[in-house]
Amino acid sequence: MVAGNEQAPPRSATFFVGVVRHLHITARAFLPMRSMADLTLIAGKGIEGDRYSIGREEGFYSHKPEEGRQITLFELETLEALERDFGIELGPRDHRRNVTVEGVPLNHLVGRQFWLGETLLEATRLSFPCRHIEEITGKPVFDPLVHRSGLNCRILIGGTVRVGDLVRNT
Amino acid sequence: MTPRRPITTIRTVITAISPSGHDVKLFALADPEGWDLPPFKPGGHIDLHLPDGQVRTYSLCNDPAEHDRYLVAVKRDASGRGGSILLHDQIRIGQEIGVSLPRGGLDLADPAISHKFVAGGIGVTPFLSAVAALQRAGRSDFTLHLVARGTPPLADLITPLVEAGQAVLHDTRTRARPDLAVLVGPPRDDIALACCGPPGMIEDFEKATTAWSPERLHIEYFVPPALPASPDARSYTLVLARTETEIDVPAGDTMLDALQAHGIDVPTSCGGGICGACHVEWLAGTPIHRDRVLTPAQRERTLMACVATSAADRLTLDL
Repeated sequence: MVAGNEQAPPRSATFFVGVVRHLHITARAFLPMRSMADLTLIAGKGIEGDRYSIGREEGFYSHKPEEGRQITLFELETLEALERDFGIELGPRDHRRNVTVEGVPLNHLVGRQFWLGETLLEATRLSFPCRHIEEITGKPVFDPLVHRSGLNCRILIGGTVRVGDLVRNT
Repeated sequence: MTPRRPITTIRTVITAISPSGHDVKLFALADPEGWDLPPFKPGGHIDLHLPDGQVRTYSLCNDPAEHDRYLVAVKRDASGRGGSILLHDQIRIGQEIGVSLPRGGLDLADPAISHKFVAGGIGVTPFLSAVAALQRAGRSDFTLHLVARGTPPLADLITPLVEAGQAVLHDTRTRARPDLAVLVGPPRDDIALACCGPPGMIEDFEKATTAWSPERLHIEYFVPPALPASPDARSYTLVLARTETEIDVPAGDTMLDALQAHGIDVPTSCGGGICGACHVEWLAGTPIHRDRVLTPAQRERTLMACVATSAADRLTLDL
């Protein structure tokens, strides 16, 4: 039984303060990701200039439209683990997600909202690893990336995200 | 606009077409907005998906350090299958062409290994990107032997190499075809050989290098040879129950590719048997599942077309 004067547990059980380490976009499927100092996020649409931005639709998976795939994130710690545990060197531009963060438990955030710099995101689902990345990088990263291949999000409040911005709970 | 089908090629636009000797044209391809293209190795090649549906493979002949364009040399072959004629006669600057990711190429990284390239005619193209990469690395420990009849293709690019002593022309109009066994010499650990040319030359090269270590040999075929099947891969027939169709799946091909090649639109995503997008019901046969998404109970009637294969000659699907 819950006593009437007890507070409900916080919605976000995982407290974190992370940092944006790298930002990348690309215009089309297969092209190398381009490193950016900042990205312009447009609420409900995507990242200005990116292949999956709604209206552009030039991504490898654009034939499978997904409203909750406006921006994707990836953990820097996963890149470190790939090298440590599997001897695979994968750079921040190779995983093909838009934002590489440090200190953010992405897998905990599905269904939750969080701040990425001045923008507000809602995590819709975990990203799947895909053979497409192996095809492009030529590296056997599929198996090691199962369950840690990043996060798909929709953009609730747009704005400019810069390298070095904080990533925080709402 | 949302594309209805997966994007399977890199979108490029023809930015330059320049004649380079008799019946040879150089085509430069770039991203429509100038974005970098996927990188390629020296001696690598790409497929061009031509407007009439033909797919043709061409070696990349520019410096791999050029990230913003692909350069291919195409010899007009009046008796060929038509790809080179289409490129020569119909393709214009500004036209869009889909290309594959670059494949293949030579490993030039080890400075202790020098290189001997043997080319026949237009087969010189893969070695132009290799030479560019070696020169950019400050290396001159290579020789290009080009066997051609009369003026070589891409003479503008070859002549400076000849003048620098890095290339040797073997003009078969004035001299006998060189003996490749003499040209490559006895086996060496510190020399890597590579050959690209017409089938007759490839045969001669293979005979001349039987004593060489396979690690020091590289052959570029004009027409790719059939890929060797993996030991446990086998061909089988898919029977589509609803449409009463049969599809042969060659050994080593995926079921998904075979279905899509026959216009059957199976949704796909991860391509590796974990996301569940390409599930298909099966009715009879012995599938080998290999996925990591279906439970044993689900496997009694469902398979993942991206990874599943068949242990028997026939497999019936509910399609």
